[in-house]
Formats: sequence, C-alpha cells, structure tokens
Amino acid sequence: MSIYIFYLSLSIYLLSTVFYLLYLILYKKIIEQIGYYTLLSGFIAHLFSTLLRYMEAGYTPITNFHEALSFFALCIVCVFIYIKKKYRIDTIGSIILPSISLLLIWASFYPSDIKPLPPVLKSYWLPIHTIFSFLGNAIFFTGFFISIVYLITERSIKKKKLSALSRRFPSLETLDAINYRCIAYGFPFLTIGIISGSIWAGFAWGSYWSWDPKETWSLITWIVYAILIHNRLAIGWRGKKTAYMMIIGFFSILFTFFGVNLLLGGLHAYL
Amino acid sequence: MIIGVFGLNHTTAPVEIRETLYLSESITPILIEELKKHGISENAILSTCNRTEIYFATEDMEETIYTIKKILGKHCNIQPEWLSNYTYCFTGEDAYRHLFLVASGLDSMVIGEPQILGQVKDAYRTATFHNATGFFLNKVFHKTFNVAKRIRRETKIGYNPLSITSVAIELSKKIFGELEHKRILVVGTGEMCTIALKYFKKEGVKEILITNRTFHNAQKLAEEVIGTAYPFRDIPELLTAVDMVLTSTGSEQPIINKETVTGVMKKRKNKPLFFIDIAVPRDVDPFINDIENVYLYNIDDLMSLSQIHRADRMTESRKAHAIVDEEINKFIQWLQHLDMGPLITDIFLKAEEIREKELQKALSRLNTVDDETLKIINLLTKNIVNKLLHPHVSLIKKNGTPQVLEMMKKLFKLEGFEENDDEEKLDSWDKG
Repeated sequence: MSIYIFYLSLSIYLLSTVFYLLYLILYKKIIEQIGYYTLLSGFIAHLFSTLLRYMEAGYTPITNFHEALSFFALCIVCVFIYIKKKYRIDTIGSIILPSISLLLIWASFYPSDIKPLPPVLKSYWLPIHTIFSFLGNAIFFTGFFISIVYLITERSIKKKKLSALSRRFPSLETLDAINYRCIAYGFPFLTIGIISGSIWAGFAWGSYWSWDPKETWSLITWIVYAILIHNRLAIGWRGKKTAYMMIIGFFSILFTFFGVNLLLGGLHAYL
Repeated sequence: MIIGVFGLNHTTAPVEIRETLYLSESITPILIEELKKHGISENAILSTCNRTEIYFATEDMEETIYTIKKILGKHCNIQPEWLSNYTYCFTGEDAYRHLFLVASGLDSMVIGEPQILGQVKDAYRTATFHNATGFFLNKVFHKTFNVAKRIRRETKIGYNPLSITSVAIELSKKIFGELEHKRILVVGTGEMCTIALKYFKKEGVKEILITNRTFHNAQKLAEEVIGTAYPFRDIPELLTAVDMVLTSTGSEQPIINKETVTGVMKKRKNKPLFFIDIAVPRDVDPFINDIENVYLYNIDDLMSLSQIHRADRMTESRKAHAIVDEEINKFIQWLQHLDMGPLITDIFLKAEEIREKELQKALSRLNTVDDETLKIINLLTKNIVNKLLHPHVSLIKKNGTPQVLEMMKKLFKLEGFEENDDEEKLDSWDKG
C-alpha cells in the first residue's frame, strides 16, 4: 500500500519540479507559489507513505537503498521548506526540486518489498542513528546546492557579466548566510549520527570503532566539516572558500553513502 | 470625429525649442480652456522635458491644427508658421499608435522608462478635470493605459536598470540583499557622487559616512544628506566599518590601493566589500577586484552593463511594438463596429418607415381586408424588405471599411446619420 502512495508523492514532486523549472524561466511569482503548494502536498503524501511503511514493516523503514533514498529525499524536502520559511530563496527550489525528483526516481529502481528485519538491525538505535545521520546529510546536501548557486552568482559578479540566471538567484549575503546555517545545523546532526552509530556498534559488533570503511569515511566527512566550522569561526572564512569546502564535504558524503557500499563493502554492508 | 495629435519630441526638436514649448502644470489648464473656447472641445496636453503634445478629437482637422498652432505660438512667443519645422501631426490610426507608443515608453529617449505612463495619466486627469475629454478621447486614453500595462506585463521592457546609479544599486542588492542594514562610505563630494548617494539613501542605507580631502565639503554634504563627515586620512579605518564604498574624487593617483584593502579584509573577517568607483581617472586600484569577497566596479564596468541592458531593451521593444500593432488592429475594429451598429439599425428603420408608409397607402385603396389577408400582406412586405437588405447588411458586417460605411449612408440617404454615443454599448463590446 505504502508504495502506491510513494509513487503518488513522486508524481506530485515531478509536477512541482515542472512548476519550479517554469518559474526559473518565466520568473512569475504565481508559478512559484503553485509549485510550492504542490511541493507541500507532495511532502504530506511522502510523509504519509513513510509512516505507512513503518506500520506495515514494524520497523523504521531505512534499511535498504530504496528506503534510504526515499527517506533522504524526505529530509531534503523538510530542510528546503524550513529554509524557504526563513529566507526568500524561491529560485533555489528550481535546483533542489529536480534533485529530489531524481532521488525518488532512483529509489523506485530498487526493490521496495518489505522483508523481515535482519537481527543485527533490531535495535532502538536504528531510528536514532539513521534519522540523525540522514537529517545531517540532507542539510549538507542542501548546502551543496546553495554553494553551487553561490559560486555561479559570485563568479558572474566578479566577472562583471550578470547573466539572466544569476540575476534570478538570491543575493550573495543571503546564500552565504544559508550556507552557514547549513553547517551550523548539519554538523551537530552528523556528530550525533556518528556517535549514536558508534554506541550501537558497541552493542552490535562488540566494538565502538573498528575502522570499518563506512566508519572511516564518515569520520573523514566529519573532519571536513569540522575544519570548515573552525575556519569560519576562527579566521573568518566566508563566501567562496566556504562554498568550495561544502562541495568537498558533499562528495565525501556521497562516497560514504554510496561509494563505500558499492566499492569497499565492510561491516555496514546493508546500507 | 477624428482623433489627432499635434506636438514635438526629442527627435524632432532640439532642447532649446522643447524648453520654449514646455507647458508647466500651471499653464496647461489655461491652455485647455482656451482650446475649448476655440472649438476644440476634446483636448489633452502632455508636456514633459522631452515632449509637448496636444491630443484632440475634431471634425475639422485643418482648422484645429491652425487653431492649436496659433494658441501655442501665442503662449510660447513663437511664430505659428515657424513651429511647423519641429512638429508632427498624426491622425486616426497613426495618432492612436503614437499615443500607445508614448505611454508605454517606446517613444522615449530612454526606451522603456516607466515615468512617462504616469505623465500621460496626469495629462489625461488634468483634461478630464477641466471637462475637456469626451467619448472619443476617453476611449483612446483608457485603451492606451491598458496597452501600456499589457506591455509592462508581457515584455521585460522596464526590467533591467539603465542608469549607472541604478546598475550600481542592483549590484549592491545582488551582493548584500536588502541595503537597510548596510553602511556606505562616500569618498569625494562631486556632483556624480551626490546624485548617486541620494539613490542609495532612497534604498534606506543605515548609515552614510562621508570623507573628502577638503574636510569642509565633506561636512557640507554630510549635513545635506544626514551623514557623518570623517577626515580623509581615516579611510583605512572607515573601510573596516562599511559595506559599500562610493568614490569620485578628482585625484590623479588611486587613493585606495590593494595593500590597504588586503589589510582591511583581514580586520573585517572577510565580510564582503563593494567598491563603486565612478571617478575618472580611477580612485581605486583595479587589482583589488582580485581579492576575495571584494567587488570593484568602475564607471566603465557600470556603463557596459547598462549598454547590455540597453541591447536587451531593444529586443524587448520589438515585442512591445508587436503588441502595439495587435492592439491597434483590435481598437480599429472596435471603432468600426461602433460605426456599424447604429448604421444597420438606421437602415432597417428607414426601410421599415418606407414599408409602413407604402403598406398604409395600399391598405387605404383596398376596401375590405380580413385579418388573414392583412397578415399575409404584412409578412410579404417584410420578407421583401429583409431579403433586399440582407446583402447590404452582411457586406457591412463582413467588410465594414469606412468607405463601405460611407457608401451605405449615401445609398440609403442617411446623410443626417449621427454616431451613437452610447458608452454602455461600447463597454460590452470591449469585454467581448
């Protein structure tokens, strides 16, 4: 049942994506508003499908690629709605929305049937560890796009050629402020995600830290963002440097999330 | 009734002539009344620094133009004949087109500038206030406002700023977002600086800091725009406290160099700094644009952006012209229908009148007519009339050019035919 609602939410997101792309071209406020309300309804459907899946499965549905991608997209939508409430960043939606749709389309390629939970994952730590890690990563994911937009806009101002595109993006200061917020919120989530994972590992595998590839790579990600925070606060890193660092951090997340599973394997093999 | 426009603009008359013919707000009412007194009951006067135009509705074109020239000449102390060298006169379709173009800023010196619509509206308001507009002028002006609005809505004609100052403000907003919490430092107190500063003030900048080599001038400007004056040597410290820097001094050497700014950026913790250098020769070392989070635009950069915007406007103006053409066609069609409706009615009335008269004649000759026969005769005459009129009416409806209408009037001897001034009818057509 939940899978049908999942497809429903995917189609609503696609519709919203169309509106947001149209908005970027036509730049009419009303289109953005329609897109946003479409997104909200898609979000409600998506949230509902996730909750339904939770009830059908009896465990937190973040245990395989399909569930993980879907939940990741859900977190990104959450983050986007939150940022949109705080700042005027309409055109960012035109970049975030396609990525959300793509994530969900990707998710739909993976088997979505509900299987009994492997014994090793039967734990209260499952929701804590996954939800915090995913929220943290979703915030950084958004920060990645904000950074790209920042770099495009910054470049066009520096080069003294304001393109139609950069004209429609938010101001540098707004983008930088959002970027900073992404780090300030994302980092604690990621930290809690890693610590809770480590505690769980202590119970499940008998050792808090066993230098498993997943652990190692999430530590590397953590260090990247830690350096970023330190430099921002201590030496006043702003703008371009922060944006580049966010992009590096994002690739590190990508590798932790997909690369490790697909290339390296290890203890954390289920996801 | 013909609508016409008589006037001059920046393309037909040099600035001296435009100045002499400029009609201020206090003069226009007097002129309107005078034109009315001379039989031009519908007139509206539009006078800006780039144009002086009189719109009117008249039956006798030549007479009207002559009167206008005479009155204008008298008011501005110019020989009426001499005026003809600088003026233009459009009537009918050309006049509507001209007004549409003027109101949407397509005839302006700076294409797409938005003020002109307000000026046209004011001109119209003044005219209505003095009861100088009738049915035709009202219709044309209302249509004009619709067209101008449509052009604003559907093209980007007024989208990108053109003046150097507005380009600078747009860039500041692109960097800082809203300017309300931002501080600006002004180096130099030249005229350019003062003008630009006023625009920034309008954007609501939080604080204005002013410095100048001659401290006294800085103080004077500071008083004028409500800012604070600082000594010239304080520049490095001032740079740490502000977000935007506007420079325009007469200095031969750059007064702000890369080393200073590099040092300043460390103290600022890399908070963005935007230099707007409108001085020639330049006041700010061009290489500071290479420093991170520092943005420098000099007068050439601002100019070239404004040039690009100008080119954009040209493409947009083509779209706008297409809209004007479309609306002109609609308007002309509408005007024709306006003529047509009453004409058709009149033709039928005339025919009915004849039929009735002839019917009565025939009936009086017949002694006894029963109801059945009367009915048949009635129907017969009606059918004959309708069948005879049908081709004419359908010709009017299909091809209602002024010539055809004129021909019909002659054909049915409707010379005394009067145009119908029923506003409601028009409006219902307009909506359709």
